Amino acid sequence: MDQLPVEISQRIRHEARVAGMHDHAPSIEMVERRRLQLWSIMIIVMVAVGLAAIAVSGATDNVKWVTGQPLLLAGGVGALAVGFCVYAVEKEVHLHRLSRLLVDERILSNTMALQIQMNTALFNAGKALNSVMDLDDVLDAILANALDLLEGSGGSVMLLEDQAMLRVVAVRGRGIARDARVRLGESIVGRVAQSREPLLVPQVVSPADIGGVLDSETDIGGAMCVPLVNRGQLLGVLTLLAPKDDAFDEDDLSVLNLFAEPVAAATAKAGLYEAERANVAKLLESDRMKSQFVASVSHELRTPITSIRGAVAASRRTDDPGQREELLDVVDRQSGRLQTMVEEMLTAARMQENSNRSATQQLDLCALVRLTALDSHVAGRPVEIEIPAECSVRAEPEALRRVLTNLIENAHKYGSDPIRVAVQRADDQVVMSVIDRGPGVPPEERERIFERFYRTDPNGTKPGMGLGLAIVRGLVESCGGKVWVEDAPGGGAAFRVSLRASVGSDARSEAVHV
Amino acid sequence: MSDRPKILIVDDEPDVLLTLRMIFEAEGFDPLLAADGETALRRVDEELPDLVVLDIMMPVLDGWFVLAELGGRPTHPHVVVCSAKSGDEDRARARELGAAEYVTKPFEPDDLVTIMREVLARDRAHV
Repeated sequence: MDQLPVEISQRIRHEARVAGMHDHAPSIEMVERRRLQLWSIMIIVMVAVGLAAIAVSGATDNVKWVTGQPLLLAGGVGALAVGFCVYAVEKEVHLHRLSRLLVDERILSNTMALQIQMNTALFNAGKALNSVMDLDDVLDAILANALDLLEGSGGSVMLLEDQAMLRVVAVRGRGIARDARVRLGESIVGRVAQSREPLLVPQVVSPADIGGVLDSETDIGGAMCVPLVNRGQLLGVLTLLAPKDDAFDEDDLSVLNLFAEPVAAATAKAGLYEAERANVAKLLESDRMKSQFVASVSHELRTPITSIRGAVAASRRTDDPGQREELLDVVDRQSGRLQTMVEEMLTAARMQENSNRSATQQLDLCALVRLTALDSHVAGRPVEIEIPAECSVRAEPEALRRVLTNLIENAHKYGSDPIRVAVQRADDQVVMSVIDRGPGVPPEERERIFERFYRTDPNGTKPGMGLGLAIVRGLVESCGGKVWVEDAPGGGAAFRVSLRASVGSDARSEAVHV
Repeated sequence: MSDRPKILIVDDEPDVLLTLRMIFEAEGFDPLLAADGETALRRVDEELPDLVVLDIMMPVLDGWFVLAELGGRPTHPHVVVCSAKSGDEDRARARELGAAEYVTKPFEPDDLVTIMREVLARDRAHV
């Protein structure tokens, strides 16, 4: 294929030379002009010879008067005419050959241009895949190339979702709705996807029948649909629409089918890349949160250490037993704080390694709430409680106590007084709520706040390591329960823990203020 | 300046206030306390301390606010920032806002006292 144009152009040059055309690149038009000239001269010569013959036969006297040798003259004219004819015929043969060669060359170069265009389109599609790894961008670039190559008026790429639904993810041209959905097997596109056979859609078909892609007002000259299949797996359908007066043919369908293969590969690859990118983004976020955690931890450790060192330095400067006692209390409090932090970190680490269920037992949630509220009050975090006299749940008591302590601490840190703890029974569930009157939690953060290391206050103006609520969730889940946050009626945040109720619950409520 | 320089300790941690107060008293200073930025600014106006030992991370009005407020005045006491924030950008910001020194928590109390004496000995143009 590559050699043919060289051979043809050599032959064209040769024929042009023989035909008396000295232009190195004669065009078909030039050859035809030359042929016209040749035939015109020939006609003129023949007419001249004819006239001469008439003159010789009908007016011999006159001729004789002119030449004196009429027969000789006739013979000479005849020989000249024959010679010219031979010359003209030979030239005509070469010009004819040249003309055919030029037509061949034109067809060949057109085909090659088309091939190059197609290769370029495929290359661009590949390039789009390698340069823009965003799936939407890749599909858009691919669609644009296919339309360019096949001169379509519009088109779409639909991808398979949930194994039964096609969704338009890339659109070019008018009348096509992005995100339109077509069920597999329904309408033309859906059937192409199901049969996995490319289809040429004739002009007579209503655009609306093609499938969720078009509104019926769109004026098109038919369409082509090809399935996108990679490694035996259906990924979607590529659809091109023809302009109103320029329908597609079988050749176009073959080209589009050829095109579909790399498109499917590209789609599969971009899909993988997309998933990988999401994964990397998640890892980066996790890494960022861990860095933030290290910063939070170091900050949280610095404060009690400052107090402890201060207490030691101060006790060295005093002999007063009362002051020394006071300073020992500081050391005791602050070392206790350090211990709690270390335990929190260990609990979080253990939960990460071992997400098994705790050994639960039947316990009275209300008694546990009363005791924890009392401890909280002693620690300077007062709460109001609103609980039944008794309410049995299945849980691990130490885990549940920790859950409530963390939720109360959290409410004091981020919410405002009064902090309320309420217990209510609903069917076979018991819901314990910790409610504050603070600003509440924005909807987009309601899941994230339970992630390890996540902090709503990244600048660290509030103390904490971003572990408290993660520990809450881990412990609640280990007891087979659920925890979530919602807006409290009347404003503020309501953290709710639902646990499985045990037989013997009492729904009677009492209000106790601790 | 009297014999006992007035030191305003600003920190939201009661145990830090307690221990620093004892140390400063033993070292011959006259300590005053504030647990938040608002109280700190009020006590600066009322007591005219020679030096403020200022924590940064406090609820409501933080140390940055206090520092900026004091820095905007024609005369103000020396400020030694005492913070658990240890980043270079925090130090630079404190300097920009007019802090004389920046001490990172946890610190050696003797070192803090040395720094305070050194700052107090500086040209008292600020006061």
